[in-house]
Amino acid sequence: MKFTSRHTAAAIGVTLAAATLTGCTEEVGGGGPAAAAGACDPADITLVGQVRNESNPYEAAWLDGGDTFAEQVGLTQQRLTYDGDSTRQQEQISQLLAGDTECLVMNVLPNGDSDTPPIVEGAEEAGAYLVTQWNKPADLNVTDYDHWLSHITYDGVESGRQIGDALAEAIGGSGGVIALQGVLDTGAAKDRFAGFEESLAANPEVELLDDQTANFSRAEALEVTKTLLTKHGEDIEGIWAANDDMALGALEALEQAGRTDVAVVGIDAVPDALTAIEEGTMTATVSSDGPWQGGIGLAIGYCVATGELAVEDIADEDRAWFAEQFLIDQDNVADFVSPEITESDFACDNLFSRSQGAMS
Amino acid sequence: MTSPADADLEVVHARRPRPRRGVSLRDAGPPVALVVVFGIFAALSPGFRTLSNVQNVLDAAAVLTVVTCGITFVLMMGSIDLSAPGIMGASAIAVALLVANNRNDNDYGLLGVVLAVLLGAGLGCLSGLALVTLKVPSFMTTLGISAVGLGVATLMFAGVQPNVSDRMLAGLAVERFLGLAHLTWIAFACVLVGWLVQRYSRLGRYAFAIGGAEEVLALSGVRVAPYKVAVFTMAGAFYGLAGVMVTSQLGAGLVQAGRGYDFSAIAAAVVGGTLLIGGRGGILHSAVGVLLVTVLTNGLVQVGVSPYWQGGVQGLIVVAAVAAAVIPQRRRNQVTK
Amino acid sequence: MTTNLTRPPGQRVPATAPALEVRGLVKHYPGVKALDGVDLVVRRNEVLGLAGENGAGKSTLLKALVGLVRPDAGEIWVRGEKVRLGSIADAADHGIGMVFQEQSLVPNLTAAENIVLGSEGPGVRHGIYRWNTMRRLAQEQLDKIGSHIDPLARTDSLSFADRQMVEIAKVLRIEERTSHPPVIILDEPTSVLESKEIETLFTQVRRLREFASVVFVSHRLDEVLDVCDRVAVLRGGRSVGEVPAADAAPAELHRMMIGSTGSDDHYHGAAAERPDEPRPRLVVRGLSGRTFRDVDLDVHAGEIVGIVGVHGSGREDVCRALFGAEPTTAGEVVLDGARLDLSGTRAACAAGIGYVPAERKTEGMVGPMSVADNMTLTKQGSRCTGPVVRPRKQAKLVDRWIERLSIRTPDRGTAIQRLSGGNQQKVVLARWLVAGDVRLLLLDHPTRGLDVGARSEVYRLLRELAGQGVAMVLLADSLEEAIGMSDRIVVMSDGRATTEVAAPADGKPTPLDLVKEMV
Repeated sequence: MKFTSRHTAAAIGVTLAAATLTGCTEEVGGGGPAAAAGACDPADITLVGQVRNESNPYEAAWLDGGDTFAEQVGLTQQRLTYDGDSTRQQEQISQLLAGDTECLVMNVLPNGDSDTPPIVEGAEEAGAYLVTQWNKPADLNVTDYDHWLSHITYDGVESGRQIGDALAEAIGGSGGVIALQGVLDTGAAKDRFAGFEESLAANPEVELLDDQTANFSRAEALEVTKTLLTKHGEDIEGIWAANDDMALGALEALEQAGRTDVAVVGIDAVPDALTAIEEGTMTATVSSDGPWQGGIGLAIGYCVATGELAVEDIADEDRAWFAEQFLIDQDNVADFVSPEITESDFACDNLFSRSQGAMS
Repeated sequence: MTSPADADLEVVHARRPRPRRGVSLRDAGPPVALVVVFGIFAALSPGFRTLSNVQNVLDAAAVLTVVTCGITFVLMMGSIDLSAPGIMGASAIAVALLVANNRNDNDYGLLGVVLAVLLGAGLGCLSGLALVTLKVPSFMTTLGISAVGLGVATLMFAGVQPNVSDRMLAGLAVERFLGLAHLTWIAFACVLVGWLVQRYSRLGRYAFAIGGAEEVLALSGVRVAPYKVAVFTMAGAFYGLAGVMVTSQLGAGLVQAGRGYDFSAIAAAVVGGTLLIGGRGGILHSAVGVLLVTVLTNGLVQVGVSPYWQGGVQGLIVVAAVAAAVIPQRRRNQVTK
Repeated sequence: MTTNLTRPPGQRVPATAPALEVRGLVKHYPGVKALDGVDLVVRRNEVLGLAGENGAGKSTLLKALVGLVRPDAGEIWVRGEKVRLGSIADAADHGIGMVFQEQSLVPNLTAAENIVLGSEGPGVRHGIYRWNTMRRLAQEQLDKIGSHIDPLARTDSLSFADRQMVEIAKVLRIEERTSHPPVIILDEPTSVLESKEIETLFTQVRRLREFASVVFVSHRLDEVLDVCDRVAVLRGGRSVGEVPAADAAPAELHRMMIGSTGSDDHYHGAAAERPDEPRPRLVVRGLSGRTFRDVDLDVHAGEIVGIVGVHGSGREDVCRALFGAEPTTAGEVVLDGARLDLSGTRAACAAGIGYVPAERKTEGMVGPMSVADNMTLTKQGSRCTGPVVRPRKQAKLVDRWIERLSIRTPDRGTAIQRLSGGNQQKVVLARWLVAGDVRLLLLDHPTRGLDVGARSEVYRLLRELAGQGVAMVLLADSLEEAIGMSDRIVVMSDGRATTEVAAPADGKPTPLDLVKEMV
């Protein structure tokens, strides 16, 4: 069973972790600076993609994108998931770094901001090439490191504003709306809601009736939306959700309440949301393009490892950057239903074409 | 016997706690808290006291009620059960794949629902068997079974979310009878069945007795193990049904269908007066606990408490309500664990 | 239903073989010979008392009789037939049933369920309870012993006496399994009962004799003599004799139990010379609480003051209140001139007050912890070892007290629960002594559950402490103990201290003197 064997691997990781911690320090002298030059035979390169859960469609798509890139260069990607458990993520990383790290390329989704520093330090010491996405503490600078090649994220404020504007447009510029926030203490939830507030300021006729958290969860969004529907009734013309899962939960609640006149927007472009937009029940979402994320992180590492790209040659604004995101509505949804990976996106001279600028 | 000796005995056999008289008070606590909390919200919020909101509260309580029905029997035995998330996830995905859906050509309808519930019962049976044969504490076995359930669910999930197109299953959450969703009536039925089992079946009474004094059952020549396995199996069936209900509500099979339900259900049962050490409480207690928790969640939104405050406020009210309910039984130097 | 009380005894079975006979029963445990060739005969329609000190083999013998212990050698005969008892069910099939010392009822079930537990018969069909049948079955059992308990009452809402009745009713269910008159074993049935309840129990036992044989075990000899026809005595795993109850005296039984004439000498030690202190060490004025009102009490250094009273007199609560473990509503307590804060137990500890609780196993000690840790458990104790346990210092301290109190333990690291009751109690006492500054000891039934030998050791220890000037308040296990140990006795009744009786070594009051004041 796939699941079980992965757990076994994690369990072995536990026992290896201690050995690893002592092991890394010895490797620093030999491995580090020499490999930074990047002279790996492409066949010797190990590609690793690590996300929380394969049961999350977005993250599953991310790993699939990594597989696509790996195929492109004639390799396979090692798929790792850590169930949203920070400890397990660190164990998996330690286990990887205990092995042969000279030509190791890791594309990692850290569980939270605070999980990034130990991963970065570990990779730096072991001489493995690392790209992180989404989470990093603001004061941790990529440019301070040689092997932490790049950090990619999306401008949550921008996503929140984009769907906020789409929602305002869908309800004709005026009317009552409610907001479903994500897990309140995460950066993503804060940024997205801040963007929505910007949008509200720009659309003064749109009134925010209520904002509640549904913790990014479909089931919680269902219950919260039902409650808000009884509280505000017909006043609700639109629902802003900080991710698509919650938007889908809200759609269920609307269906159970027999309401078809409410516009719903979300973020992430998960397959079910795209279907809902195609069917016209949902208004808009924002794509962060999971498959591209899965590929691009490996591509950057691969290019540096093979020597096609030198770390020094990566511009500072490409070491930590916002990637381009796309507002998806009924007009362009067909383009996103079966996302296609463009090989040229991963070419070593085209890696940063989607940049929207350095992280502020 | 001479009179001095008589008095002597009085002295010798004086102290021992008297039989408890506060039983009724203890049982009255949670319902009183429910009524009070309900009254306060009704006074504060016009939106809360509408009929449609009461329906909404009952609908919202449906899934948690069914999970709690299962967990109550386990708690009554003095065991603990953390397997709900895994079993619910497995049954949620299973039922989504068995009824008409977008992933395969299955269309087993009601039979699919029954199979999903049986899957839940099977997983529950496994935790029970592990408990009695391997003598592993229920805390560990059920945690393990939860992981197994999630694993089975993830395998069946295979990267693509199964969406339910079966009319019957989707209709359970949407269609109404006397103003309440069919799922809510299912929850009522579960409470009734649970109560009958607790009151009139040997299984229910023995579960109660195991929590009271397991060793006495052994001294009375009762084999306890089969009843433990049966209780876990029954709990698993309830979780399986709850997984089906979540799938019906969300219109899709989610691996995370049961996330958080283990602790919510334990909390609801305890708030209702079912003790974690076993032997006290029951289905009706737990139902009151579920309502109390659900009314709180709903009421805080209705009243308009900021989402940033809700978690903390909800916790405070629960602790206060339970503390108020047990004040009559408090005594000094009481040991609380 | 095979038995009826109105049927004259002896008509059912020819009275030839004894109901139960034990021949040369031997049982070894590692290092201990629990039974060393016990012979015992239980006749039909008699109540046989079984006496013996702790460790004499009583409980092992009883367990062997109900199939919980397999003897290494020897035979058990039931009505002239040799039997092998492998389980409780086996024993029940042969008509032998036992009411266990630790009550064996499920507290949260109804009395009816407890009575039929494990042998519900028609009470449960296809796993479904039939409450009416269940109730009727239980009622039949309760009728046998003439009890009026509501079968559907929850067991934990019944008094201890009623629970005992439920136990007996439950044991009598073995009549459903055999057509012969049953043998009912009662192990320490009075230990949780009050005197009125004990009378009811004795009435029941006499009724049982009409159609059954009863084995009655109690460590209280007066009870044994009162209710039994015959008393068999065990000592060191052997039968040492039997006497007809009618002409036996407690002293004679005592002698058989301990192998020599028991002496109460330790009782009558004189109080230590009281130093010329103008003011008593402990002064209590107008102390009131939930169950007591306006209690005044003086205790001098080196003095033992006994408090006696019937159940409900409030004396236990006064004792706990002095330790800050029971809320008070009025009054003040002064120890050596300093007013005592009664809001919690910490202040009492700090002031040098020690408390030995009645429930040793649950309140007095932490069973799985070592002797050393138990001894240094309190604030005073930890003060000697510091916030961080310093093993060597602790060891030295503990070893000194193990020696001084001659505590019999393999070593200081042994879990206290493996010690005998007397030695456990010495450790509990030592806890208050290790700090060396204890000024007042509150002793709540310090000898409860101890056998004669262990008692004398505790008495001797208390005397010694009094000699060193420790003041003591004693709630004794019996009036004799109170009289023997105390220098002065305060009688409490209905929550008030009503009388004070002096009890100097040369002028002890009689129990009768006290009882007059108690009621």
